Amino acid sequence: MTNRIWIVVFSFVAVLCLGIWLFISSVSSQSMIVGIYKDGSLVEKIDLNSVTGEREITLSGEYGDNVILVSNGRIEMKSADCPDKICVNHGELKSSTSPIVCLPNKVVIKFEGSTDGADAKTGAVG
Amino acid sequence: MKTKKLILTAILTAFALVAFVIEGAIPPLTPIYGVKLGLANIFTLFALYALGTRYAAAVLSLRIVLGSIFTGQLVSFIYSLSGGLLSFLLMILLKRFFPLKQLWVLSVLCAVMHNIGQLAAAVFMTQTLAIAYYLPVLILSGIIAGAFTGLCAQLVLMRISKIQYKS
Repeated sequence: MTNRIWIVVFSFVAVLCLGIWLFISSVSSQSMIVGIYKDGSLVEKIDLNSVTGEREITLSGEYGDNVILVSNGRIEMKSADCPDKICVNHGELKSSTSPIVCLPNKVVIKFEGSTDGADAKTGAVG
Repeated sequence: MKTKKLILTAILTAFALVAFVIEGAIPPLTPIYGVKLGLANIFTLFALYALGTRYAAAVLSLRIVLGSIFTGQLVSFIYSLSGGLLSFLLMILLKRFFPLKQLWVLSVLCAVMHNIGQLAAAVFMTQTLAIAYYLPVLILSGIIAGAFTGLCAQLVLMRISKIQYKS
């Protein structure tokens, strides 16, 4: 049966993808330096360890404002005017392989690491 | 009869739009952009097998344009269009290899292609290659969603194949 072969093929690919996904989302970042990008260009670079107190950064885009909350060792998207709120639901930035992304406003927050391979992959930035 | 096909195309477009709008109103299951069932594609697939390529193209393009107007999100229009075009090209290229009994396979391949296209558009729009990290999840969700929508269209078509909807 052709159907059976396809089921096996798709199951295999699905399990493979799940494995890769679990692996890359478990990689935590070594560096505490984050970069905030808007429209593909660097807006600000922050060392999360040197932050004292709380600070808010507001970026204005086509679909309203993105408010980024920075505190010691922590960065997150506090609020956004975009319709889907995916960046806000992402929560705190934890993994070097999963950046906080706001597609409507083209904002990306990610760890900057020179030691891990993630940086080589993101070479297009800037 | 051409009129009959035209009317069926209009009805399928209306169904697809309703499915699209209803699905958009449901809060997303995961915080990842692009992970969704894509219920509207059931009607595109139905049109492809019941009416033909040109009619399916009409259902798809009308649904994308009108759907973006109805939901008022121009961003999703760009992503919808890039994913939709890519998967539709694959659909018409591969259709001859998949009879009705394998419709769901075609659906899975197209759903995966759709998600890859959307992600490519996202990478292009944000100029950030890092979001390609979503690829495994989008492929996985494409397989599940594609199998579901494909089976919906396939099972309906197999049951009504006795009814005269052709010419």
